[in-house]
Amino acid sequence: MAGIEIRNLRIEYRIPNGEELFTAVNDVSLSVREGEFVSIVGSSGCGKSTLLLSVAGLVKVARGSIAIDERIVTGPGPDRAVVFQDASLLPWRTVLGNVRFGLEMQRWTGGDYTERAMSMIRLVGLGRFADYHPHQLSGGMRQRANIARALAVDPEVLLMDEPFGALDAQTREIMGEELLRIWEKNKKTALFVTHDIDEAIFLSDKIVVMGRNPGHIKEVIEVDLPRPRKPEILDTPRFTEFRRRLRAHLAADMAGMHLVEEVA
Amino acid sequence: MGMAVTSIRDASRRNVLQGWYPKRSSMVSFLSVAAFFILWQVAPELGWVNGRFTSQPSQVFLAGIDVVLHDNFFYHARISLTELALGFALALAVSIPLGVLLGTSQTARYLIDPPLMALYIAPTLVLLPILVVWLGIGMASKVAIVFLGALFPIVVNTMAGMREVDSKLIRAARSFGASKFDIFIQILIPGSLPSILTGIRLAVGRAVLGVVVGELFVSQAGIGHQLNTYGSSMRIDRLLVYALVVSAFGYALTAAVRAIEAHVRTWRPE
Repeated sequence: MAGIEIRNLRIEYRIPNGEELFTAVNDVSLSVREGEFVSIVGSSGCGKSTLLLSVAGLVKVARGSIAIDERIVTGPGPDRAVVFQDASLLPWRTVLGNVRFGLEMQRWTGGDYTERAMSMIRLVGLGRFADYHPHQLSGGMRQRANIARALAVDPEVLLMDEPFGALDAQTREIMGEELLRIWEKNKKTALFVTHDIDEAIFLSDKIVVMGRNPGHIKEVIEVDLPRPRKPEILDTPRFTEFRRRLRAHLAADMAGMHLVEEVA
Repeated sequence: MGMAVTSIRDASRRNVLQGWYPKRSSMVSFLSVAAFFILWQVAPELGWVNGRFTSQPSQVFLAGIDVVLHDNFFYHARISLTELALGFALALAVSIPLGVLLGTSQTARYLIDPPLMALYIAPTLVLLPILVVWLGIGMASKVAIVFLGALFPIVVNTMAGMREVDSKLIRAARSFGASKFDIFIQILIPGSLPSILTGIRLAVGRAVLGVVVGELFVSQAGIGHQLNTYGSSMRIDRLLVYALVVSAFGYALTAAVRAIEAHVRTWRPE
């Protein structure tokens, strides 16, 4: 397993049909220890997904560097796997076929693809649905399959880009619990993007709060709640205190956004 | 107990009703077709229409047997089928790679898109006279017209299919280290297959049309040539036999492609 070391990262986009450069993330430095679960929160447009995708090697870095266990990231690699929001399963493949997909792409050498995929499908609780196509599954089940696909390639770092963003509140809570249950088994280094404050506190060892214009880190909050965590923890005074702190941050960000819009 | 019996009886009554509705609809269509044939049969005999122009189902049926036995039917059918198969095979071989190229390369699109669209919208049959001048009245000009007719629907739909593949799927594949070749084979091809098949289905119609019209225009043999012969000699019964063969063949071919499409689309909820 490995930690993540981000140094003075800057990411720029060229606006489509324009010469102008848009800075999505500026001067971000962050270290994630081996086996740590870190969430990134922030209002929309703060570059949190961009930051995650750059760790995945899917976004070009303009300045600074990202290293996984001392190895500089230049593109996607077998040491990382991404769980995307929704609709990133291949619709023409079954659950089994989708979970096998990552193994096939990486030319995995650890044994039989189907056996490996099936064990991951069972781990996420989809054993009975291995032969189903994505459109036959609920949103929560699709995300279970997405998680199984990422875990199957046995990455050192698990990157999750709002994996539960498209789910209803109830399913979302169950999926959070499930994710913790799975994560507790092997404690992979995890980077998790969300805009749900409770979800971030419940899951994380550390929460990175990002702000906008351009995307930067405002604060890093250590969440020292004991593990393993159960949903009851949401009602404890310490949890409430974390929630209050994070809300204040995001509220300030939203207020700033309002001001910018008024000026414009 | 009593309730259980009632519910079973209700259920069986429902089944009877459910079974009845589709039967009624097929009954209605059957009756309408039967009524048409009866009307067609008796109208000339009652003097409502001139039988020389309309023929009769019974005559067409006899002409059908006659055509198969004494009219070199299989010779003409083979000529037309060969033209169709050659033209269509050539169209497939050119259009799919071209569509893939246009769908994946922006430069290629800038270069060929406007003339391509113009040719797609214009009926390629307008080129028939010039093709005859270039290639003669034999099979070559028909092969060429089938090729041109089938080419554009497949190119355009393949191109659209390639471009409409969800970029999220490509990103997911890249995150697992997929190469460009992997992405092409695993994402672009299966993702655009339904569109490609739609293109092929549209192309089948145009290809059949191309063969028949090509032969009607100028030819020495083939189904279209026979159509022309019997049209000018007022043999309505034989003409209708050939017309029926063409439409049945076109329908069967389209239905076959549609069946493949339905099979491929099982993963895609309508």
